Amino acid sequence: MTPPINAVVAALHRAAPGSRVMMSPAQMAGYESDGLGYKSFRPDLVVIPSDADELAQVVRVLHDARVPICLRGAGTSLSGGPVAAQGGAIVHTSKLRAIREISLDGFWCEVESGVNLRQLDEALQPSGLCYPPDPSSGPVCTIGGNVASNAGGAHCFRYGVTSNYVLGLEVVLLDGSTHRFGGPAGGNGPWLEDWKRLMIGSEGTLGAFTRFWLRLTPRPEKVWTFRATYPDLQSTERAIHGLVRHPAFPVAIELMDPRAVALVETSSMAVGLPKGHFLIVTEIDGPAALVDLRVESVAEVLRSAGSADVLFSDKAEDRENLFKARKAMGGLLGQVSPDFLVQDAVIPKRALANLLQLIYDEADRAGVPAVTVMHAGDGNLHPNFLFDSRIPEEVKKVEGISKRLMQRVVEVGGALSGEHGIGNDKSAYMPMVFGPESMHLQLAIPQIFNPRHQFNPMKVFTERRFVA
Amino acid sequence: MITEERFFEHFMDPVDGVLCLSATSDAAAIEREASPHGLRFPLLLDRATPLCEQVASSPFAPASSRYGPYCDNITGMNWELPDGRRVRVGERVVKSTTGYDLLRFLLASSSRYGRAMDYVLRLRPACDTSRVFCLRGDAACLRSALKSLLQSTWMHWLDSVDLVAGDSPFLRVAVHCPALEFEAYQDFLSAFSKKFSLALEPAAGPALDGCPDLVVKTTPEFVADTALSLAKHPGAKCVALCSCGVVHVFLPDSGAIGEIVRPIESALHAMGGHWQSRHVSPSPSPLEASWISTLRKEWNIS
Ligand SMILES: Cc1cc2nc3c(=O)[nH]c(=O)nc-3n(C[C@H](O)[C@H](O)[C@H](O)COP(=O)(O)OP(=O)(O)OC[C@H]3O[C@@H](n4cnc5c(N)ncnc54)[C@H](O)[C@@H]3O)c2cc1C
Repeated sequence: MTPPINAVVAALHRAAPGSRVMMSPAQMAGYESDGLGYKSFRPDLVVIPSDADELAQVVRVLHDARVPICLRGAGTSLSGGPVAAQGGAIVHTSKLRAIREISLDGFWCEVESGVNLRQLDEALQPSGLCYPPDPSSGPVCTIGGNVASNAGGAHCFRYGVTSNYVLGLEVVLLDGSTHRFGGPAGGNGPWLEDWKRLMIGSEGTLGAFTRFWLRLTPRPEKVWTFRATYPDLQSTERAIHGLVRHPAFPVAIELMDPRAVALVETSSMAVGLPKGHFLIVTEIDGPAALVDLRVESVAEVLRSAGSADVLFSDKAEDRENLFKARKAMGGLLGQVSPDFLVQDAVIPKRALANLLQLIYDEADRAGVPAVTVMHAGDGNLHPNFLFDSRIPEEVKKVEGISKRLMQRVVEVGGALSGEHGIGNDKSAYMPMVFGPESMHLQLAIPQIFNPRHQFNPMKVFTERRFVA
Repeated sequence: MITEERFFEHFMDPVDGVLCLSATSDAAAIEREASPHGLRFPLLLDRATPLCEQVASSPFAPASSRYGPYCDNITGMNWELPDGRRVRVGERVVKSTTGYDLLRFLLASSSRYGRAMDYVLRLRPACDTSRVFCLRGDAACLRSALKSLLQSTWMHWLDSVDLVAGDSPFLRVAVHCPALEFEAYQDFLSAFSKKFSLALEPAAGPALDGCPDLVVKTTPEFVADTALSLAKHPGAKCVALCSCGVVHVFLPDSGAIGEIVRPIESALHAMGGHWQSRHVSPSPSPLEASWISTLRKEWNIS
């Protein structure tokens, strides 16, 4: 039987006296939802541990009290991950903010899970090294959330996503025990198996991360950023196909559709993008002696695909403007619509025009505004459907479109999520990709570390329900 | 809803640069599919050994310096469990966070949970110029040159930077680029070798050393010293894949592995490194054994 909540709070105060425990409805309101917004779940309590040791004590107390435990970083997830879908406690990592070490010769750093990307980037600036994964939510999102959802970003086409940079992690398991998988050297440590591989991208369903060792890499010496406009989907697709195979190996290949461009250009974030076209932003970087040689041939790929408007620059301010426009999308959508639902499928790039057309047809037919941006190099599609969750008919329409889109994604050989994770938003689609045997193998993993699904229940797989 | 098990069919997709083929394919078989499309799979340890054996012998190849380990270049597989059941793990697209990452876990697990039947490989643009250079000089010069090279932005553009440790150690640098760019690489390497008093010369062959008998994973900071010290073992040849922090050790007698790793094991573990060998399977701690046993039970592997 679950003890009364007041007894749990008292036990938390005893075990983790430096931690903050909150229960008032006003305080809970801030933790009801994540970046997905429209699906909200009120937690019974929120705990902010003062450090990793107290976090371990908090987990132990909650485990013993049979309270569902949901870890939360900055709460920017777009898939309904850091919410108390079955009630219980949110454990917020906002106090775990230390960058503990930066090793210049070893090319690694050690950070606590609540460190955010901007903080890390600022700390790394003087070293000439960088940590490449760059989700657009970088100014606020935490490394803990990034590792748990295997975050990506615009520059991941060449540099790779979070999992390519995690050398090791420290995790608190359900019984409050702390384990370290890997470390600065990025191997297994004393373990036979590479358990960190199962932890990365596990969306808070296996344990609570407290520390990471991350791989660093030299900052590029020079960057050229290109912008090209296209009149239609076919020429846009041609340009993307040309870029992904170019030996200059662009770092980023980003696509904004005309509706996304219009949204930026009619806002206070306008940077003078030409309206009414598909826009590709791409970037090459490296030693000046190499990238300067490559500029013309990249521009030629963009032109020969059908763009009459190719601009390129090696000026930091031009680059910042373009990426500001691209990265402003999330915030702008929140301003123009009460709610939005963003999908995160990854598709084979030959299906790009086809899938975009499907999105437009479906959205137009249903009268749902859709604005699409894409990490096009990776085939990672982000259609944003705008709606009002107070109108049940609109929710139904948007969820219907999402489901049909996912079906098509699976048919063309794509993946449900490239970087946002499954959360509770996409869990119903998992049987589309996993047959019974694969599903069985997947569901075996929590049996090792979190057999009763007390950590983050109702996420990733609908079967994951906590039974106290 | 799809309720049937899905598998990868063999295919070549030149747009996405992905190729699905048998895990037992060798370099020539991969090239037959990839080369006509101007693509290549750069992560090779040797030309004749089946890819699955290469992957089992080390998570890294020399070109991992530029492209990352095998697990970042194999996006999916058809996997056979020990009792013959087959599943698909991973994807044919290069990016996914959809469920637990069994792909990387299984790739690192030797054959403890079965074997790969087919791989989906991530290919890269093939260029017309491939050269390997040796940089020779005294140990102190090699060390400082290596340190400087690892911190340079050129690191992303060199196919590999290896320290070949033997009687007279040298740095081995592989370049793969369009002909138009080769001069820029040459200029860089000449200036670099001059700066560190190293002699720059073309290497006799490609950076293919074969499947190592022992793999030691440490950090880039300690990789050179580790390789140089392991190379003191009689008959050992060591190749440090420098930016990966990996030492490939080639031994005349695999029976010596225990004796070689014993003195370095605890220091490696303390920094989250480890050693592995296709000739030896270490046993897990009691706690890990209990996790493995749960996994095997859940997966119905006796
Ligand atoms: C405007 C905007 C732009 C975005 N752009 C991108 C983008 O470009 N690329 C991208 O990948 N994502 C993007 N996202 C999504 C989101 O920012 C990422 O998923 C990010 O990784 C979440 O980090 P967070 O700290 O907010 O984690 P949260 O949202 O708090 O949590 C995310 C998941 O991680 C788990 N978790 C958090 N901390 C821990 C921990 N310490 N231990 C175990 N589990 C934990 C949670 O339980 C949850 O399942 C964007 C979001 C917004 C709002």
